[in-house]
Order: sequence, then C-alpha cells, then structure tokens
Amino acid sequence: MTDRLADPATTADDGPDVTAVIEQQAPSRVRPLTRKPGARGIVVFFGPLFVFYAVFYFFSVAFLARTSFQDVSLSLRNAVSVGWDNYRLLLDDPRFIDALRNNLVFAAAAIAAAMTIGFFIAVALWSGVRGRALFYAVFLLPSLMPIALVASVFRTMLESRFGAVNEFLRSVGLEALAQRWLIDPDLAYGVIVVMFVYLIGLPILYYTSNLAVINTSALESAVLDGAGPFRLMGGILFPIMKNTHKTVTLSTVLISFRAFDIVFFSTGGGPAGRTEITGTYVYNFTTSGTNVGFASAAAVIVLLISLIVSAVQLRIYRRAGAS
Amino acid sequence: MAVDSTAVSSRSTGRATDNLYRSRIDRLIMGSILVAMGLLWVVPIAAAVDRALVFNGWRNFSEVISGDIGGITIWRTYANSFAIALLHAAMVLVVASLAGYGFAKFDFRGKEVMYYVTLVFLAVPATSILVPLFYITRELDLRDSYLGVALPEAALTLPFGVLLMRNFAETISDTYIEAAAIDGASHFEIFRGVFLPMSRPALLSLGTLSIMWSLQDFLFPSLFFTDANKTTAAQAVLRFKEYLGATPDDIGKYNASLVLLAVPALIVVIGGLRFITRGLAAGGIKE
Repeated sequence: MTDRLADPATTADDGPDVTAVIEQQAPSRVRPLTRKPGARGIVVFFGPLFVFYAVFYFFSVAFLARTSFQDVSLSLRNAVSVGWDNYRLLLDDPRFIDALRNNLVFAAAAIAAAMTIGFFIAVALWSGVRGRALFYAVFLLPSLMPIALVASVFRTMLESRFGAVNEFLRSVGLEALAQRWLIDPDLAYGVIVVMFVYLIGLPILYYTSNLAVINTSALESAVLDGAGPFRLMGGILFPIMKNTHKTVTLSTVLISFRAFDIVFFSTGGGPAGRTEITGTYVYNFTTSGTNVGFASAAAVIVLLISLIVSAVQLRIYRRAGAS
Repeated sequence: MAVDSTAVSSRSTGRATDNLYRSRIDRLIMGSILVAMGLLWVVPIAAAVDRALVFNGWRNFSEVISGDIGGITIWRTYANSFAIALLHAAMVLVVASLAGYGFAKFDFRGKEVMYYVTLVFLAVPATSILVPLFYITRELDLRDSYLGVALPEAALTLPFGVLLMRNFAETISDTYIEAAAIDGASHFEIFRGVFLPMSRPALLSLGTLSIMWSLQDFLFPSLFFTDANKTTAAQAVLRFKEYLGATPDDIGKYNASLVLLAVPALIVVIGGLRFITRGLAAGGIKE
C-alpha cells in the first residue's frame, strides 16, 4: 500500500484515488489477495485441467486396466473376464518381447547419434559458421514435419525397383550394391535405425539452448593453452554438458515409445515383425479388433514404462533445479 | 599464435568464433564436416522432390493441386488440418495457462503432488491409450468431428503445456500480482489483466508448438475419421496411397502429393521456428 502511494506513476495510471480503492475493498474484500486460492480459485484454475486428466488419463488407465483382464472385441461389449490370461499370452509372445527390445535398440542408436553427431552439429553451429540459419533448418526441419511424411519419403526412396537410392547406385555402375532395403530383414532394421538417427532435431535444439547459457571461461583458458576445436569439444564442452546429455537421453527414450509413425510408414513393423516396436504392436492388435483385451495388456505395460521413465526424468530435473 | 586477423574479421557470427576457430585449417575442417552432413540430411528431401517429378514432371503437381484424389482435394486436407490444429491450440492455451498460473502463484496442500501427477503423463504414447479413446470418442459421439481429434491431442499436449506455462509464470515477479491485488482484483482478474498480457512470449511458443504437433498427428484422424471429407494432410499420406494405383500417372501424383502435403507444416515451422525452438528449449531444460 505504501509502495503504491510512494509511486505517483502507478497512482496516476490507475485513475481512481486511493481512498476509493480502500472503500471498494471494505468490507467484503477486506481479505487481501493471498497465495491461498480457496475452493473457488482451485476450481477455476485447475478445473479444466482436471476434466481433461479425469477423462483422458485417469479414466483411460482404469479402463485399460479393466479390459486387460477381459476377452473383448473393439465393440467393447460382451466382455468375458479371463484373469491374467492376456498378460501370460503377452509375455509368451516373442514378438512383444522383440518389440520392447527394438524400442530400446532404436532409442540407443538415437541417443548415440544425438550425443555424437547432434552434439557436434550443435557445437559447430554455435561456434559460428556462415549460413548458420540454413544449417539449422536442414537439421531441424525433418524432425518438425509430420513423421508420416518423412517415413513415407524414406520408403519411396528405398523401394527396390524405382527407389531413388537403387536408381542412383545403378546409374553410377554400382548395381551390385542395389538392395531390397525394406524386404531384407537386417537391412530393414538398419533403415529404421537410420531414420531414428535422421530425426536428430530435438537433441540439437537442447544442446544449442544449453550452449547459450554455459560459462565459457574454461573454454577460453583452454584456447589460450592452444587446444584445438576437437579437443575443446570432447575434453571440455562434452563433460560440462552432463545435464543436457541426461535430458537428451531420457527424452529420446520417451520419444522412441511414441515413434509409432516411423515404423508404421516405412516397414510397417515387417518383414515378419523384425522391426516391430511397441507402438506398432499395440496399434495392430487394437485395430485388428478381435481381442482388444490383449492389446490393452500390452498398452498397460507400455504405459507403465513411459510413466516410470517420466518419473525418473522429473527426479533428475528436480535435483538439477535444487542444486 | 597471434590473434588471427580472419578470426577477428568474422566477428559477426558471435563470441564463440574466437574460442573454437583459431586457425584457418580448423575452420576448414569443421566447415567441411558440417557441409558433408548437411548434404546427407538433404538427400531425402532432394529425393522426395526428384520422385515427385517422375513420368510427368511438373504436371504431377498441377494435377494434385487442381484435382481431387479419392474424393478429396488437397486444399480440403489443408483446411481440415488447420481447423483441428487451431482448435487444439486454443484448448491447450486456455487450460495450460490457467493451471500454469495456479501452480506458480497458489499455495495449498497437495500442490506439489498434483504438479508431479500432472507432469508424469508427459510422455504417454498415444498408441497406449487407443482402446479407451475408442470408447470415449464413441460414447461422446465425437467420431468424424474435429473436436473428437483435437480433444485427445490436447490431452497429450497438456502436460508439456502446463510445464511450460508454470515455468514461465514462475519468472513473473509476485510484485505485479500484489500491485493488482491492492486494487482488489481477484486472482482471475489478475490472470486475465496482468498474467496473460505478460505471457505473450510463452503463449506464442506454446500455441505454435500446439499447431505443429497437431499437424504431425496421423494416428487420431486416421482412427476417428471415416468420412473422407475430414481427411487431414498427415492422414492423407496414407489415404492417397491407398487410393492411387501403380500406373505412371498415379505414382507421379502420389510422390508429388507427398511433397505438397508437407506445405501446412512447412508454413508453420518456417513462420514460427523462433517460437518453436524457444518453447521446446524451455520445456526440455528447466533452469
């Protein structure tokens, strides 16, 4: 109050004189605004969020948990309770185990690429080159496009007969190298790995934004000692950015569980389930619609994993924020 | 080594130049690696454009633009995509800014737990809640409606949105709020009159990101739209492929459509890249 009186600018701005304000506040508004919102405040500010969460998360999780113990079609009617059968079947299905493993392998490849290629690109661009904006656009754009589109482009590019890759190889006389990229299981696997590496935009962004806030004094003294750029990157910058590596790692793991479109639009999970990930696995069993209970059991497990990884991520943030 | 005159003259690129590029050879090596990688990254884009011209050249493009494929024009898919994206962004902005303000400016028992529960859903994969979404969308009678797609999209974006808005709200000093409170303003009046105008940068970032993420979504439209007229651009990637056959005309058209279907996302990303990078960075790294 005294602050306001002391500041003629705000008083003038706000028009009505101070006594009027005081009168207005009394008696019903005598309670000063506090950080205690009261029931009404909670409803106004958190109500909308709560409705979304209640319907799409809490209800969804409960619904999934229930159907995962049922034999039920996509009509979701006439469910038959089957106990733990769906979970037993699921854990006996090598394809599900493979899908989980593939998720982690693809994530690992993406993390490795992020911490090497992504880190290098971010540092190289940060340290200044001509056409920086253009480089950023080239590396970031694919990650910001609909993945359905990017994966479809990869698929058409790699088609055996008319795909751009094989046509190029033939035109330069390397016909022997032309492959059935999406049909050979090992090659198809490699193609998915390449796509995970290709979508490197987010890690570059994380590194770039943290580079902007690091303390460069260690760098400067190393430069005075005559260290070259690679030594600076590997020996000094890389260890400094420990927290960013964590952010990149966890976000990449989480993205791999969301990376349904990458696989769906390039290999469809094939050949013979070789490139299946959890996303395509759950999708296929959900949309085929015969036993949605089984799909729900798979979804519950994927959901649990994503919640656990998120919880770990939050803990790390919190610790980083506290220190 | 004396200060290299070229390093000084390239000052325009920023302070770090002096740190990493002391010698011309270093600069050359770094530059060449970057260019080589840039070229690798452009290959798919170049291949897409190259494929789009097969058989009939630019006629592929003009046919996609002027005609319809499987009963829907590409313009219609753009309109559908943007309608859903804007609806999604509006819902996310309203709900996330309210909750972000609340989490930053209120004290009440259980707040930390509530915030934690909100964020733990940050990375729920859309595929994992498909079964309940089928049920919810059917029971709410939202099949073939924009809202039926925008609602679950918003649910998936909200944890990030709340994180972003709360982080931003924390940076706004309480003195602004107290000043308004002295005038007898309620929290909601302060939210509208003080917080929202000050949050423009955060709202722009979140809004742009929300639009972009919606444009990326293939899954929900493909599951909840049976009406061809509702097809979105991302969904059309599949629908066009199913409809077009293996004749040269069709193959050319399909490849051209792949390039053209990128247009909505391209517009948003190029126009809003600043907001996108800022928003992602603010949500990914909490300082």
